[in-house]
Amino acid sequence: MILRMNKVRILGPRERYPEALRVLQDAGAVHLTVPGPDGRLLPLRLSTWQEREHRHLRRLLVDVEALLEALPAAGTAAGTAPEAGSRGGAPARLDLTRWAHLVRSLQPGMLRLRGEVAALAEEHALLVKYRPFLSTFGVILRSERAWPHIAAYHVILPAHEESAVAGLEAALTAVVGEGFAVETRRLPGGDTALLMLVPEAEAARVESLLAAAGVHEIPVPSGYEARSLAEALPRMMDRLESIPGELQAREEELARLAAQYRDELCHARRGLHNRLRTLDAMPLLGATRRVFVIEGWVPVSEGGRLAGSLTALLGGEVVLEVIDHDPRDEDVPVSLHNPGWLRPFEIIVRLLPLPRYGTVDPTLLVAFFFPLFFGFMLGDVGYALVLGALALILARRSGPGSTLRSLAVVAGACALWGLVFGVAFGEALGDLGRERLGLHAVVFDREQSLESLLLLAIAVGFVHVLLGLGLGVFTMRRHPRQAAARALTAAIVVAGAVALGALARYLPETALLPAVGVLAVALVALVAVEGVLAIIELLSTFGNILSYARLMAIGTASAMLAVVANDLGSAISVPVLGVLVAVLFHLVNFALGVFSPTIHSLRLHYVEFFGKFYRPGGVPYRPFGHWDPGAGRT
Amino acid sequence: MAVTIGAALAVGLSALATGWAQSKIGAAGAAVIAEKPELTSTMIIMLAIPETMVILGFVVAVLILLRVA
Repeated sequence: MILRMNKVRILGPRERYPEALRVLQDAGAVHLTVPGPDGRLLPLRLSTWQEREHRHLRRLLVDVEALLEALPAAGTAAGTAPEAGSRGGAPARLDLTRWAHLVRSLQPGMLRLRGEVAALAEEHALLVKYRPFLSTFGVILRSERAWPHIAAYHVILPAHEESAVAGLEAALTAVVGEGFAVETRRLPGGDTALLMLVPEAEAARVESLLAAAGVHEIPVPSGYEARSLAEALPRMMDRLESIPGELQAREEELARLAAQYRDELCHARRGLHNRLRTLDAMPLLGATRRVFVIEGWVPVSEGGRLAGSLTALLGGEVVLEVIDHDPRDEDVPVSLHNPGWLRPFEIIVRLLPLPRYGTVDPTLLVAFFFPLFFGFMLGDVGYALVLGALALILARRSGPGSTLRSLAVVAGACALWGLVFGVAFGEALGDLGRERLGLHAVVFDREQSLESLLLLAIAVGFVHVLLGLGLGVFTMRRHPRQAAARALTAAIVVAGAVALGALARYLPETALLPAVGVLAVALVALVAVEGVLAIIELLSTFGNILSYARLMAIGTASAMLAVVANDLGSAISVPVLGVLVAVLFHLVNFALGVFSPTIHSLRLHYVEFFGKFYRPGGVPYRPFGHWDPGAGRT
Repeated sequence: MAVTIGAALAVGLSALATGWAQSKIGAAGAAVIAEKPELTSTMIIMLAIPETMVILGFVVAVLILLRVA
């Protein structure tokens, strides 16, 4: 349901507005709005000092958040650690001074440490890339400097180019004759390390040859100012050994800083956010020279508590009054409020913009019809059990109130209805249940009774669309013409269904004449109310009902594919192979059988059902309160 | 034979129409999602809308076959 709201006005002496704001922030229940037009009221603008404070707080907050980001996480994700301290109101001046001092003292050292850690990690990663080559040719490389008039080339060939070594040797023979040496070693990753030694006099020709062949030497890492890999080697090996120790020392230092300051920084962040929220709320207040006025929306259930808090904390000088508002006012903020068991289904409604205030929250209906439609289309005991198991795993691996938990609950409800319809249709992995497990169709067989299934699907659509039209009459109650149009459309749909039923002999023939009479009168009335274009709308409503035929079509397709999977498996003479093929086919059908009913159930709700009554565009209810780390930034 | 061809045409032509419509919506949807990933769910629903044609085509095909049978 949509939470009922009262519009409230809070008045008091102008000098007491900061305390009133603090009480409101602690209560966290008022969605602030700009006070109604009144020539005597002016917006409460920030003073020059407050504007300066706002800028200062904003900068300080950025610094505090950067420091929290730089600190290693202490058991929880960085930046989302449990907030220390109480949910206090605006921070004391002393706190602000201390936090600014804390930031100034921590920032240089912390940023230096983070920079060093990043640089060391990068250097280590680079040297690790060289390690296989160094460990393979380390001995030779160390003695390179002692060789006079010899040029060394160091190359790593990818695994798929190993055969190029022979070609390279042939090319070198052609260029420098027999006066060269090539050593190769297979590296752990499959690449080939290659060391070439050639006379220094031939170096230029060899380099041309390598360049022409697209063979590139291993570059010497930047930061090692030696002339060659051989000269850089000793330093690189030493660094490779010393970096982990240096890295650990800096990380320990960061961990020490985190243990010492994280709680205080979290406290500072909360305090800064809260104070900024107060300053941001001030322009929404109105004031005269002596009085301040705050207006906003409060849930009806919260009004009494809020008035009590104001009286208790401000001694009756600040009063709260409920003021009248236009019932057609659509700017009233909207908060969906449903029992815990229903809340997971709100994710389906929340995929669309919120409904407007004074209309209908369809969560309860969605919770019933969405899994019902899904189950109707899936209708297979085997697939439903697999889906139920997946929902159970998802529920166990997700936190309470999370989106994943909501999905698990919705999937569980869908699996339950899938099971019910699976039993009703006597299907378990297609016809396998009937053939091997002794299942039989309780209601009817989907493969044989297509016509019955189609009629049932359209009947479901008739009920669903009629319900939508009924809700449309309610949501349009303040717009008489539109409400009347929906009521007349509903009457025509019912009369049309009765007439068709009588013609098809499902209903007594005596019902035909009254039905046609109602149909004609309602049609004329509809055209009179809404004009000729209402006929098009009426036809689309009939189209909407026929659209529910997809319940039958998708369900039948899924059932047929399951039968094909079984037939394909049994047609293969090798039993193991047959089972494997059948399982693979069933897996594909299961994926389709979950995806397709989800999409089409959503579509039936959003297009066919919601189209009759749902009025999106509600303003989300955002009460003025304390900053919540899980809800985003100020 | 003619009945079977009629049923095949009912489902085949509507499948072609659905495919054509979905190709247009899918291309536009991919562009929308690239710029506004939060509209992914809406685009999936949009993509499912033309499937009504092939579903009704399938229903008509079934009715043709059932009537003859």
